[in-house]
Amino acid sequence: MRHLTRGSARHPENVRPVHDYTGAVFTVYTIVLYAVTGILTLWSIVETIRNRPAGKALLGATALLLLLLIVQLILSIATFGSTHDVDPLLYFGYVITAILVIALAGFWAFAELSRWGPGVLAAAGLTVVVMIERLDQIWQ
Amino acid sequence: MTKKSRSPYSAMHTGPGRALTAVYGVFALSATARAGYQLIREFDVAPIAYTLSAFAAVIYIVATVCLVIGRRISHRIALAACGIEFIGVIVVGILSYTHPEDFAKPSVWSNFGSGYGFIPLILPLIGLWWLIRVGRRANRD
Repeated sequence: MRHLTRGSARHPENVRPVHDYTGAVFTVYTIVLYAVTGILTLWSIVETIRNRPAGKALLGATALLLLLLIVQLILSIATFGSTHDVDPLLYFGYVITAILVIALAGFWAFAELSRWGPGVLAAAGLTVVVMIERLDQIWQ
Repeated sequence: MTKKSRSPYSAMHTGPGRALTAVYGVFALSATARAGYQLIREFDVAPIAYTLSAFAAVIYIVATVCLVIGRRISHRIALAACGIEFIGVIVVGILSYTHPEDFAKPSVWSNFGSGYGFIPLILPLIGLWWLIRVGRRANRD
């Protein structure tokens, strides 16, 4: 039995292939989320230090992260209850808060024409990195 | 924006204030979500800590809204909110060490905000400094 990072595969009653597949998809998806959020955060910090306002590329990256978080919400709604005993209020509370943080930070950052636009995105990005970590813990 | 000229207090949320407002917004959102969850799911576990969590969330919301509005009156209210926030972090921080039984579960301000990288302790100081700076400039003009 292959040990996936998602807790589902460890339960004897949950060894059917469909659950392994779901677990693997979520693991890969979490890594993608970390990567995109990490890149957005570091990039925003660099732009803040370089004294540049938030440009179109950074706007695109923020939109991409927002899209990925919405997909995460849809994926977790679709698979919720199939493998885990997770409190939905806790889990979806985090997902929806993360979506709100990125959406609002996006608007807020692009209303600013100084280095503090990317500064806003850096703060939001750091928050979402922590939230992804919490989501991963809760899901397991 | 078309009828009235921009208040000098709109500097509250521009430049570095933009990032400060964003951090307050993040705290308002996450503290509200967390306090909401605690009050609904596990209020009986640590009622004092969770009531203080809810209070902290309200203070962060007030500060954020006032920073976003950026007018003279909201500047005053934001100053008061940051002051209450700082007192809150200090009092709750001390209480969480002297009465650990009431703070079995963490809240935003317990242990001086150590669970949040001590940002709750530093944030009101930065907020007060920034608001006083903006206030002085507005009075000078």
